[in-house]
Amino acid sequence: MKMKRIMALVMASIMGASLLTACGGSGGSTETTTAAAAAAGSEKDIQPTTITFWHGMNNKQEQSLTELTEKFNAENEYGITVELVNQGSYSDLQTKLMANAAADTLPDIAQAYNNYFTDYVDKVVALDDFVKNDYPDWDDILESYRTENSEYGKITGVPFNKSTYLFFYNKTMFDELGLEAPKTWDDLQHIGEVILEKKGLAAIGYDSMCDMLEAALRQHGEQYVDETGALFNTDGGLETLEFIMNMYNSGYARLVGEDNYFSDSLSNGMIGGYVGSSTGVSYISTDIEGKEFELGVCPVVGDKTNAAYNAGTNIVMFAKDANNQKAAWEYMKFMTSKESTIKWAMDTGYLPIRTSAYESDEYKAFMEGDITAQAAYEQAPYGFVSKASFTGSNEIRNVVSTTLNELITDKADAQTALDTLVAAVNDVLK
Amino acid sequence: MKSTKPSAIIADIVKYVVLIAGALFTLLPFVWMVLSSLKSANEIVQIPPTMIPRKFMFSNYAEAWQEAPFPRYFLNTVFIATVTTVGVLLTSILSAFAFSRLDFPGKKIIFSLFMATLMIPGEMLLITNFITITKLKWIDTYKAMIVPWLANVFYTYLLTQFFSSVPEALYLAAKVDKCSDLKFLFKIMVPMNKNAITTVAILSFIGSWNSFLWPLLVTNSTNMRVLSHGLVRFQSEAGTKYQLVMAASCILVVPIIIVYLFLRKYILEGMSYTGVKG
Repeated sequence: MKMKRIMALVMASIMGASLLTACGGSGGSTETTTAAAAAAGSEKDIQPTTITFWHGMNNKQEQSLTELTEKFNAENEYGITVELVNQGSYSDLQTKLMANAAADTLPDIAQAYNNYFTDYVDKVVALDDFVKNDYPDWDDILESYRTENSEYGKITGVPFNKSTYLFFYNKTMFDELGLEAPKTWDDLQHIGEVILEKKGLAAIGYDSMCDMLEAALRQHGEQYVDETGALFNTDGGLETLEFIMNMYNSGYARLVGEDNYFSDSLSNGMIGGYVGSSTGVSYISTDIEGKEFELGVCPVVGDKTNAAYNAGTNIVMFAKDANNQKAAWEYMKFMTSKESTIKWAMDTGYLPIRTSAYESDEYKAFMEGDITAQAAYEQAPYGFVSKASFTGSNEIRNVVSTTLNELITDKADAQTALDTLVAAVNDVLK
Repeated sequence: MKSTKPSAIIADIVKYVVLIAGALFTLLPFVWMVLSSLKSANEIVQIPPTMIPRKFMFSNYAEAWQEAPFPRYFLNTVFIATVTTVGVLLTSILSAFAFSRLDFPGKKIIFSLFMATLMIPGEMLLITNFITITKLKWIDTYKAMIVPWLANVFYTYLLTQFFSSVPEALYLAAKVDKCSDLKFLFKIMVPMNKNAITTVAILSFIGSWNSFLWPLLVTNSTNMRVLSHGLVRFQSEAGTKYQLVMAASCILVVPIIIVYLFLRKYILEGMSYTGVKG
C-alpha cells in the first residue's frame, strides 16, 4: 500500500528532524509536565479556557463524540470548552501528531495508540498525580487498559475507544456441519478439517498477522518481543509455530490477500470464520441475496491460557499550560465516567472501559441483543496489547506481518518459520 | 461520398470496432464508479460482483454528501490548485529561460545545486517544511498550502531542456530586432513550447488536486480542508464504505467534466501543438 510507504518515509524523516530539535524541545517540556500535575486535586481553581482535542473518529463515532463533548461543554462548572478537531484516519492522526511533536505544537489532548509517541514520550503529560488525587475509582477501569496506559513507567493516558479481536463465524455453516464454537486449539483444527473436507473452504483467517502471532504465543504461555529482541525462540515457541504453520499449510487457514479484511469473505460465504476487530462487525453483511447466514461470535480461542488482542486508542494529554492541563483532566474524567462510557459503547459498538459499566442494567440490557458485546465481555479479563514503549516496536509489527505472509506463501515448516521470524525481529533491533 | 470499395468498408469496420473497444475499455472504470455508487452496502462486497445494481440506492449520494462539507472542500481545492499552477508556471518559465538562454556567473553551479535537490525525496522534507510553516505561523492558511509548491525543480529542468532546443538563431534574430528578453520569452519562447508548458500545467494541477498529506498537516479547521480529506472519511480502522466513496467521487467528478467541456478546445490544442513552425 502506498500510504504505508509514505508513513515509513515520514517516520524515517522524523528521526532526522527530532535530532535537529532535540536540544531545543525536550528539555523544557518535561519540567512543566510534572510541576502542574502536582498542583491538581488539592483545590480546583480552573479558569475558563478552550481545550483542543485531535481525534480520528468518523461517521457515527464522530457524532457520538460530538454529543458527549457538547454535553461536557454545556455542563462543566469551570467554563471549559473542548474543541474537537477531526484529523482524518488513525494513520493521518499519527502523522500529524509526529510532525507537531517535532514542531512542538501538539494539541492539548489527542487520541493515540501507545506506539504513536514512542519517539516523543517526554512530551506526554504524566497523569499519575491526577489519577492519585482526582480519580476516585481508577480500579474500576479494566485491568488490561490500566496496564496498557502505564507501560512507559508513568500513566500516559486514559482508555477511550476500545475494541477487541473476536472470532466471527458462519453459524449457519457450523450448524449444518455439526460444528460448535471453538474453545481450544484442537477444536480449531477439527473445524478446519471438517470445513475443508465438506465445503472446500478455509475455516479461519486473521485480519492482523502480527497480532495473531503474539496472541497465539501468549495463549501457549510464551512471550513475544521486548526491547532485547524476540523472546519466542523456545520449545513453546516452536510448538506455537507448528500449530500455526500446520493450520495454513493444511489449508485450514488462509491469508486475507488484497481484501485487507475478512469481513467481505465471510459475508460471501467464502470462509468459515475469522478473527478480527469487534468494530468490524458493521462491515459483515449477513443478508446478501442467496448467501444469507446467521452470524456467530465467540471469544478468540485459547490454549494453555486465554489471550485476546485489544485495539483502540487512549486519550493522551500534551497540554503545557497548567490551567489547560487541569481543564483537560476534567474532560478526560468526564469521557471515562461510567455514564459516558456506557453511552459511547451503545452508540458506537466500542467497548465500555469500566467493570461497573459492563455490570450496569443499561448496558446489560444492550448486551442481550448484541452477541459481539457479549463475546467481548466474556474475554475482557484476557485482553492485552503489544508492547510499544521501545524504539523499533512499530517496525517489528510490519516486519513480522510481512515475514509471516511470506513464510505461509512458501509453505515453510515450523522450524524454518521460527528461525526466520526470530532473525527478522532481532534484525530490526540490531 | 467516399469510395465504397468492399476493402475500404472492411477497413473502416475494423477501425471502428477497435476504436469502440478502446473507448469502452477506457470508460469502464468510470462506468464502474457510477454503478458502484448506486449499490447497497451488501451488494458492493458481493463476490462475484454484479454489474448493474439490483436496487438503485440513490440515498448513497445523500449520505455521502452529508459526511463532509464538500462544496467548501471543492472551492478550496480549485483555488489552491489554480494558484499553485499559475505560480509554478511563472517561476518555472522564468528560471528555465535564465538557465537556457542567459549568461550569468555561477550559472552551472546554481543549476547543479537545483538538480541536486531532486535527489532528496519529498517526504524527507515534510517535517522540516512543516516546522518552517509553524514558525511562520501559517498553519491553517491557504499560504501554507500554496507557497511551498510555487517552485518546482523538475518542471524547471523540463522546460530548460525544451527551451534549449529552440535554435539560438531565433534569439539572436530577436535581439537584432531590439526585442527585449522578456518580450522574446513570452512572444516567441512560450508559444513555441506551448505543449511542454501545458504538460507542466496539467501535471502541477493534478498533483495539487490529489495532494493529501501536506494539506492535512498544515490545516486544522474544517474550512481549510480539501477534497481528498473528504474522501477518506468513509474509511475506518475496520473497513471502508466503498459505495459512499464512489458516490462522493461521482459528485466530485461532475464539476471537472463541466470544466473540461468548456475548455476542451484549449486543452486539446495545447496537447497537440507541435511548436516548430518558425
